[in-house]
Amino acid sequence: MKISDQVALAAKNLSRRKGRTALTVIGVVVGTCAVIVMISLGIAQNKAYDEMLQSWGDLTQIQVYGGNMGMAVSIGGVTTSSSSSEQPAKLDDALIKVFRSMDHVVAATPYYEGYNLQGRVSAGMNERYQTSGLYNLYGIDPAAMEPMGFTLTDGTWLSDSATYPKDTLPVLVGPYTGYNFEDTRRSPSSSKRYRFQGMTDANGNELPPFVDVNKDDMTLTLSNGDADNPKEMTWKLQVVGTMAMDEKNYWTQGGIVLRLKDMKMLMKESADLLNTKYDDNAEYQNVYVKVDEIENVDAVNEAIKEYGLSTYSMSDTRKEMQKQVARNQMMLGGLAAISLFVAALNIANTMTMAIYERTREIGVMKVLGCELKNIRQMFLIESGFIGFIGGVAGALLSWLVSLVLNNLMLLAGLLMGLLQSLGIQANLDLSFLMNGGMTSSGTMSEIPPWLILAALAFATGIGILSGIAPANRAVKISALEAIRHE
Amino acid sequence: MAPIIRTEKLRKVYAVGKERVVALNDVDIAIEKGEFCCIVGQSGSGKSTLLNQLAGLEKPTRGKVFIGQHEISGMDETQLAHFRQAHLGFIFQSYNLLPSMTAAENVALPLMFKGVPAKQRLALARKELKNMGLGGRANHLPTEMSGGQQQRVGIARAFVGRPKVIFADEPTGNLDSVTSKQVLYRMLELSKQESITFVMVTHEPSLAACADRIITILDGRVQSNILQPEAEKEANRKALFASIEGNLEIGGAAARAS
Repeated sequence: MKISDQVALAAKNLSRRKGRTALTVIGVVVGTCAVIVMISLGIAQNKAYDEMLQSWGDLTQIQVYGGNMGMAVSIGGVTTSSSSSEQPAKLDDALIKVFRSMDHVVAATPYYEGYNLQGRVSAGMNERYQTSGLYNLYGIDPAAMEPMGFTLTDGTWLSDSATYPKDTLPVLVGPYTGYNFEDTRRSPSSSKRYRFQGMTDANGNELPPFVDVNKDDMTLTLSNGDADNPKEMTWKLQVVGTMAMDEKNYWTQGGIVLRLKDMKMLMKESADLLNTKYDDNAEYQNVYVKVDEIENVDAVNEAIKEYGLSTYSMSDTRKEMQKQVARNQMMLGGLAAISLFVAALNIANTMTMAIYERTREIGVMKVLGCELKNIRQMFLIESGFIGFIGGVAGALLSWLVSLVLNNLMLLAGLLMGLLQSLGIQANLDLSFLMNGGMTSSGTMSEIPPWLILAALAFATGIGILSGIAPANRAVKISALEAIRHE
Repeated sequence: MAPIIRTEKLRKVYAVGKERVVALNDVDIAIEKGEFCCIVGQSGSGKSTLLNQLAGLEKPTRGKVFIGQHEISGMDETQLAHFRQAHLGFIFQSYNLLPSMTAAENVALPLMFKGVPAKQRLALARKELKNMGLGGRANHLPTEMSGGQQQRVGIARAFVGRPKVIFADEPTGNLDSVTSKQVLYRMLELSKQESITFVMVTHEPSLAACADRIITILDGRVQSNILQPEAEKEANRKALFASIEGNLEIGGAAARAS
């Protein structure tokens, strides 16, 4: 017997008892819809969390802290410190090389801050505009910048191989670097001494920073900080590129990025000025490691922790959040699964009824030479059909539900408008829906194509499964039923 | 010539409550190829039980049933299904047409089980229906037809695959006497035309009198097994069909029945 004939026969038998089929299908529709919607809520929440984390920092970036520098970071996450009692490894160039050679590591660079340095960056006539200190100086391995995911809006990256005059330092600037400069002619208590991003004049026009870092000459000055016996050294800063706006790494917004080797040179000169000893082999406080994919962050993180170092990555936080979502999803999904289970019982019941009614027909088919496996298949196709149709309708319904959920605010607004136009004072507070799951994008429920496909397969599978017992019963019906006379 | 249907010490015992009822007791019969054979007997004699054993609808308690070279009493369900597809046809007392299918679809059913493509099998079915004088009824549902018409659809269904043997279980049991005669005439005519062995259970002696062979069952045993002399058979047939002579035209029968 051809499979097409079996399908046609099954469809015919279903359409013969439309009312009962429809009722059974509705059960599947409700179950499928519930499952899809529950899962879609979880997916949307995970995505919202990811978006949130993404706005906090790079998910594929691991920060490694030097042995004595392990510090608590409080940007919404946890700092995981090694629990091993052994002495942490020294976070130096050799170890960074080891990090770079690890699988899935794209780049690793020290993040060398200039807060030990004394001096200033200045611009304008007679150094009118100055930065207060050198806090915004960062030394980064130039080769790591691009792999780390930073982008330029202008110019080129720094290069270790390019040569510059001895008194010139190549630097990268950020979009807000100019706002670091203060007007030294104004008193520190005067608001006119400072410019910050977004500042406007009386007419509401935006005020530019004092210094245009791309045009004006900038000078870096190191000093010994001794007012009686001042000693100073200066370099010209040559801006080779401007970094793109990057919310995740605030230091790229207003910082001045130097090549790591230049930074080390400055450290050494500064030490000389201050008559202190500079240890070139010193530990770094902070190293950034970039991993290729989010999934590999954990493995790399663990490998680094083996060295007894503290690390921080957003993926730790992400894991916690995902666990939370998974727990919620399990609970909601479990409830939804119950409704699907009831639907399965429904299908089994409908099929059993159908087989009782068609006992004689089945007997006749046997006498006319229908094989047992074909009889079984026909009933399985029939119950699979119920599942499939229910799955399709359930998917459509869940899409509608998702649409409503995602536009709840809009719909509530419309409803309130309607009520008010009828003269009813309504006050609907939907803010409780906003916590947790919803982000700026406002999606509460998201249904990716795979979920639809999986739900269809699942619903059909449930249909077939619940048809097995009735189909076996049909197979056992004796051919003699055909000649039994009522 | 070896008989096409043969039984060996066929015995069937039913358990009714705690009692055992012997429905068939050491039945040995043989039916030759192409014979039109009637099994007669009173109700409860075991004639239907014998037909069920011969057609493989149930297994004997003991003994064997052969159709051709095949021992069908030893076949499993799958083998039986294949054997039925290839070699057997069946006509029921209560027609047993599938209510959701048209006449043509019902006739095509055995071919569908065999795996014949829809177009081909429906064409064969229509041809068979035309043969039975039901050419205009091919697309009608069973509920839209009279009993006689339904049984003719049932006969077409049995013949459509050109089986070796057709079993009929009181095929005229639900029909009036005129229609009974018409239906019998059709079955007789077709089975002779196609030289198909026909085994029919009936309790009407007048119908059985037209058969080549009459097997009489009494209390589960073969009481008599008579191969009718040619002359006697012809006379019986003439006598039986004389009253409906005018109605034997295929088109005429169909028109009257509708």
